[in-house]
Amino acid sequence: MTEAPAVRPGSAARWFPNAEWILLLLLGAEGAAFGVFGDHFLTAANGFEVVRLAAEVGLLAFGLTPVIKAGGIDLSVGSMMGLAAVVLGGAWSSLGLPLWLAAAFALAVGAAGGAFHGLLITRLRVPPLIATLGTYSLYRGIAEAVTGGYGSTSGFPAWFLDLGQGYLGGVVPVQLPIVAAVFIALWVMLHRATIGREITAIGFSPEGARFAGIRTARATVRVYATCGTCAALAGILYVSRIGQAKADAGLGYELTAIAAVVLGGTSITGGRGTLQGTLLGLLCLVVLQDGLRLSGQPGEIAGLCAGLVLLLAIMLNQSWSRARRASQVEGLRNPDPKSPGKFKMKNSQIAVLVAAILAGALLIAGSNWWLVRSLGRAPAGPVPPARRITVAMTPKTVTDPYFVTCREGAAEAARELGVDLLWDGPEYADPAIQNEIVDGWITKGVDVVAASLVNPKAISSVLRKAQEHGISVVTWDSDAETDARAFFVNQATAAGIGSTLSDEGARLAGGRGQYAIITATLTDTNQNEWIRAIEERMAAAHPAMELATIHPCDGQRDKAMTEARNIIRAYPGVRVLIAICSPAVPGAAEALKQEDNRRVMLTGLSTPNLCRSYVHDGWVGSIVLWNTRDLGYLTVYAAAAVRDGRLKRGDSAFAAGRLGTLRVEGDQILLGKPFVFNRANIDDFRF
Amino acid sequence: MPPPLLELRAGSRTYPGARALREVDFDLRPGEVHALLGENGAGKSTLIRLLTGMERSDAGGSLLVDGAVVAEPTPRLMNAMGIAAVYQNPTLFDELSVMENLCIGEGGPLVSWRKRRAEARSRLARVGVELDLDRPVRHLRMAEKQAIEIARALGQRARALILDEPTASLAQNEAGRLLDLVESLRAAGTGILYISHRLEEVMRIADRFTVLRDGVRVGTHARGSVDRAGLLRMMAGRDLAELFPKEKVPIGEVALETRGLGCESGGVSGVSLTVRRGEILGIGGLVGSGRTELARILFGLTPADSGEIRIGGKPVAIRSVGDAMARGLAYVPEDRKAHGVIAELPVWENVTLAALRRLCGNWPDEPREEALAAGLAAELGVRAPSLHAATSTLSGGNQQKVALARWIATGPSVLILDEPTQGIDVGAKAEIHRLMGALARRGLAIILISSELAELLALADRIAVMRRGRLAGILPAAEAGREELLRLALGEERS
Amino acid sequence: MRAARRELALVAAIAVVGLLPLFGVPGFYRAGNLRNLAIDNLPVLVAGIGMTVVIISAEIDISIGSLFAVCGALSGLAAKAGWPMPLVALATLAAGAVIGAANGLLVARARVPAIIATLATMAILRNAIIRATGGAWIQDLPAGFQWFGLPQAVAQPVYLGAAAALFLAAAWALRHTAAGRSFYAVGCDHEAARRIGLAPGRVVLAAFTIMGALAGAAALLNFTRYPTIETNAGVGLELQVIAAVVVGGAAVTGGRGTLLGTLLGVILLGMIGTVFTFLHVNPAWGKAIQGAIILAAVVSDTAFGKRERDD
Repeated sequence: MTEAPAVRPGSAARWFPNAEWILLLLLGAEGAAFGVFGDHFLTAANGFEVVRLAAEVGLLAFGLTPVIKAGGIDLSVGSMMGLAAVVLGGAWSSLGLPLWLAAAFALAVGAAGGAFHGLLITRLRVPPLIATLGTYSLYRGIAEAVTGGYGSTSGFPAWFLDLGQGYLGGVVPVQLPIVAAVFIALWVMLHRATIGREITAIGFSPEGARFAGIRTARATVRVYATCGTCAALAGILYVSRIGQAKADAGLGYELTAIAAVVLGGTSITGGRGTLQGTLLGLLCLVVLQDGLRLSGQPGEIAGLCAGLVLLLAIMLNQSWSRARRASQVEGLRNPDPKSPGKFKMKNSQIAVLVAAILAGALLIAGSNWWLVRSLGRAPAGPVPPARRITVAMTPKTVTDPYFVTCREGAAEAARELGVDLLWDGPEYADPAIQNEIVDGWITKGVDVVAASLVNPKAISSVLRKAQEHGISVVTWDSDAETDARAFFVNQATAAGIGSTLSDEGARLAGGRGQYAIITATLTDTNQNEWIRAIEERMAAAHPAMELATIHPCDGQRDKAMTEARNIIRAYPGVRVLIAICSPAVPGAAEALKQEDNRRVMLTGLSTPNLCRSYVHDGWVGSIVLWNTRDLGYLTVYAAAAVRDGRLKRGDSAFAAGRLGTLRVEGDQILLGKPFVFNRANIDDFRF
Repeated sequence: MPPPLLELRAGSRTYPGARALREVDFDLRPGEVHALLGENGAGKSTLIRLLTGMERSDAGGSLLVDGAVVAEPTPRLMNAMGIAAVYQNPTLFDELSVMENLCIGEGGPLVSWRKRRAEARSRLARVGVELDLDRPVRHLRMAEKQAIEIARALGQRARALILDEPTASLAQNEAGRLLDLVESLRAAGTGILYISHRLEEVMRIADRFTVLRDGVRVGTHARGSVDRAGLLRMMAGRDLAELFPKEKVPIGEVALETRGLGCESGGVSGVSLTVRRGEILGIGGLVGSGRTELARILFGLTPADSGEIRIGGKPVAIRSVGDAMARGLAYVPEDRKAHGVIAELPVWENVTLAALRRLCGNWPDEPREEALAAGLAAELGVRAPSLHAATSTLSGGNQQKVALARWIATGPSVLILDEPTQGIDVGAKAEIHRLMGALARRGLAIILISSELAELLALADRIAVMRRGRLAGILPAAEAGREELLRLALGEERS
Repeated sequence: MRAARRELALVAAIAVVGLLPLFGVPGFYRAGNLRNLAIDNLPVLVAGIGMTVVIISAEIDISIGSLFAVCGALSGLAAKAGWPMPLVALATLAAGAVIGAANGLLVARARVPAIIATLATMAILRNAIIRATGGAWIQDLPAGFQWFGLPQAVAQPVYLGAAAALFLAAAWALRHTAAGRSFYAVGCDHEAARRIGLAPGRVVLAAFTIMGALAGAAALLNFTRYPTIETNAGVGLELQVIAAVVVGGAAVTGGRGTLLGTLLGVILLGMIGTVFTFLHVNPAWGKAIQGAIILAAVVSDTAFGKRERDD
């Protein structure tokens, strides 16, 4: 008789050793809640869209699971996406390699980058958090340096674009089999192969694993190399989905991926974790985001909910583990051969879990109701049409005050017209998120999409898809490809903007000397267009002006102030600064003011409210803009009119509420020319 | 008669699902050494936690100091009253300096480093150890770390000192020095609670013995009123041989030979020895003499930079654990919890871990593994709630058996055991000794590193003694005596 | 105090980088420039003090960027509501401390690993502030807000002095008070800390609360340089601060770290951007250089032969 019975744990415990079944409950709750509050949530089409949303982050999360399970971490996976994207684009367009070879090369770079981590960690004893914190900057930095930030490659062949944008049989996104194949391969590696056991052992105790004869260094390098390869693959899919290879691919993805892994039950200290858990965690987060979007909630709510869900799930998991450990001690004292590892969940814990999920659902429902009310259904107004149409508007970013004022105008027009306005955009200019937002709206079934695009090539295919679904599309502020939208509400052309800025800059500088440009990020397409226009205009009309340098400020005023100060000191020949993103002008102005520098002049693109005092005090010579409020206002009017058929090709004029009649040129509605705000007129404008 | 220094009345402690201590009475008088005996799991650690204020007794129990009840015992409070404890595995603050470790947690809200330095120096002097005060404790050896803990306890003017397995990681002479210290403390009026599995130590110094079994106090006896066998019987509840007598085993050809083996950074040089099949070669010596370092070189954890290793007569290069395993070597390390097993893994996975690649290649075969684990567990007598339970739920002795099983599973020809019975209760110790004999009979060559001379003398065929990284001498066990071995270890000349 | 290897290496690195502007456009070494560089990096330094304490305690906090933005927004709202500036400052510090304490409770009581807890609070706080403000800046602040109402020439040295005083006080406290040493003890080993009478849960809670309060202080030092409040500030601050602390020699495993090291780390990483501008280096190289320096710093110990034997 043996004193160590070999009673195996039940199959539930084997498939979900960390109580990942809690996530199934959560998914169920999400499905129920959004089935009610979301439009077209419980459809096959939406199901597949969720897959597409999850593909890139999912690849990162799957690749990260073995790394975290082995007790490490990799913060650089998002940056590797950018590096792989740039390598892919560069190898294909500059080196002329066939595309499949360029992709293989990009994957190799991913593996090498991961192996580099393994080297740092095993040979040089650098803690994984720090090593990957360094490469988080380094890999993204290499991508930016090589492309100068703005360089990008596009024009990929159709078969490649199909990987990210196409459907198999018209229904299944092409990403699905790719990601599924990677998932299966990783699952087999982690849960069926010897290296998976080694990873688990290393995660629990690296020294203990070494003493057991496990080649820890080799396993570690392999795990990180695999993670890097998955990140590179995610980068390739990203390029295929967006249609463009740029250094900013994957910005910010790493934290979502880590959240998915951790939510899925993998212990951050190592040893515990399953790939199926990561899949469930990923789905919970992605379905949450998708469902909220379809319920008409903006991205911030999704972010908030994701944070809350993560906390709740971890806390539940902790209390579950503690209960399990206690029951194991009990099992030691009173061995019961029939139920060696059985976990009894107390009724109170079930009650807490159910209550939490219900509370979450009610919170979402409540805020939806509140949001609908706050959009101002005017009870008395112009006779609303039989069914209210929904105009879904997306700015380049929601955190730029420029767009905040556009929204005010849009809301005003929505109230006048009696239409529902949806407003959602990325927190920072990320074309991929805009893509997802529009995709969500297509599923939801809005009437019109009005988009100001971060990246025209990237979004155009999604806009075309919207049109195929019977949704009208207009663009504003930043245009798409012409066949992807009906009309473009243009405040001014890039050439016009560039000209006005150049002329103002030259005027302030006295016609000769150096000028410097402060832009948002080096990768922003719109701004790069304006920069090109500025340079062209300067060369043509003000040949005595010379460009000294271009510095980014990441859209942050603090950084703009620092950069402005440094530029003034390091480039003494600069006579005028041209700051082309709205936080940068007040930042640069503050720099001039604090330096008490009256020699260098400043102009740029910003809103009157942000710059008013600086203009009055003379720190800002002038700002170039248009009435952003009017822009938003006009966009909503145009959107509604396109939907109703009141505005169509061939029209030469269009009446837009209080703006009166505006000129229509072909497919562009012109708000007007860029307007120069200066001390004389700035107080007439309050936006 | 003055009230006892420290007393626990009807102390009980229940953890979820287990009663660790049941109405135990215990008292410690000033100027006595009171030994606490019992198998692992008998409740000794829990008793200590109650006495030091780390935990509070369940209802009905009370803790008294100098005859007065302590209503709300906390570690800080008990410390202030002069109750100090030194644990088996000194948990010092690894990153902090020796000086800081010596004085940590004392004094008021402000820290004066000058005062601390002086205090630290004097405390170290009391235990007779010299160390660099600014060095992080991380780099010290076990014996030095323990010295620091004791020095700290003494410095806090402990009136009652609890020593939990203090000599477990000390070699003979250091242990002797510690016992001298204990005796001098007793003479000075300190009450000492002494826990050890080394019965001859305990019998040498203790004034009273208390035996715990399964959370209950079996009895308290004064010195002279009980003998070794009696104590064993009380601890185990049955008659038990403490050390398994060595059987006669036929000794075969040379399995492993080293010639002038050395490693500069490990401080080992010029080691030449042989081990034969069926033989148990004991390796003794002081802590720091290079025994574990030698084992690490043999096992590929530290590469040698001089000399050679020969297996089966042919020189081999061992530069990694993989190399060593491929040559048929196996190593059960000294630190069971950190290196011997991986505590969170289930028992069966721990058993098959080392053999996995060789057995199954890239694709593990779970049924086969479980069968192997079940067989080995039965053979070694591992007691566990289930093979699928986490190894951490097993007692120390059973964990050691799992560690042993792991290496037996690899089918080695040479097995190196580093302090295999350290910190294990008497019953399990005997079983492991029996196992070693069985393995030797099977034809394994066994290298046994031990600090317990009695163990070496009883089990080994030959005993090698290391001193300062070199081999001081090898003697057949029959000819060796305690004094001889000690002299070799210390390097003293014959008088 | 023994000068540790890392601090010396950092001083050497700072010297090397500091000499580079000799090859560029003159003007780097002017007092005004150095003063501006210092003031720009005060928020990172002050937050770095808190992060050093957290990392010494073997924890981490990646939510401070969002916390920074929230404190800044609150300070602006308080000022607009007419509160006198001293009260605004106190309220900001208190808000930071409260949110920091929330993080601390999650880690110490609810046993959520620090990286996850602060990842979640980072997302919650950042999205909450975007939701609440809609992305708009807080404007029309009273005149007494910028520079606390002091003239700029007075305010700047005052800020430098205040930060220096705070830094020295914190460095002293970490070294010479039992409370300060308790962070090191808890960072080494919770069980050992319990044995000497410390309560690790409370110490960890204190570490996060201090971090929160210092994030609030950093917000004050930053946002009062302007007449308006940018609500999207602080993105990426946490990684900047952690990089500086780690480059300064603190171990993420806990128990090790000095404020001097953090100061040197802040100086080194903070000066790079400006130095390279004076060298007219293409700004597209900024991130790559910073990543390379971080890696070089952490690798330098092992690469240059510090081989202590681990037994």
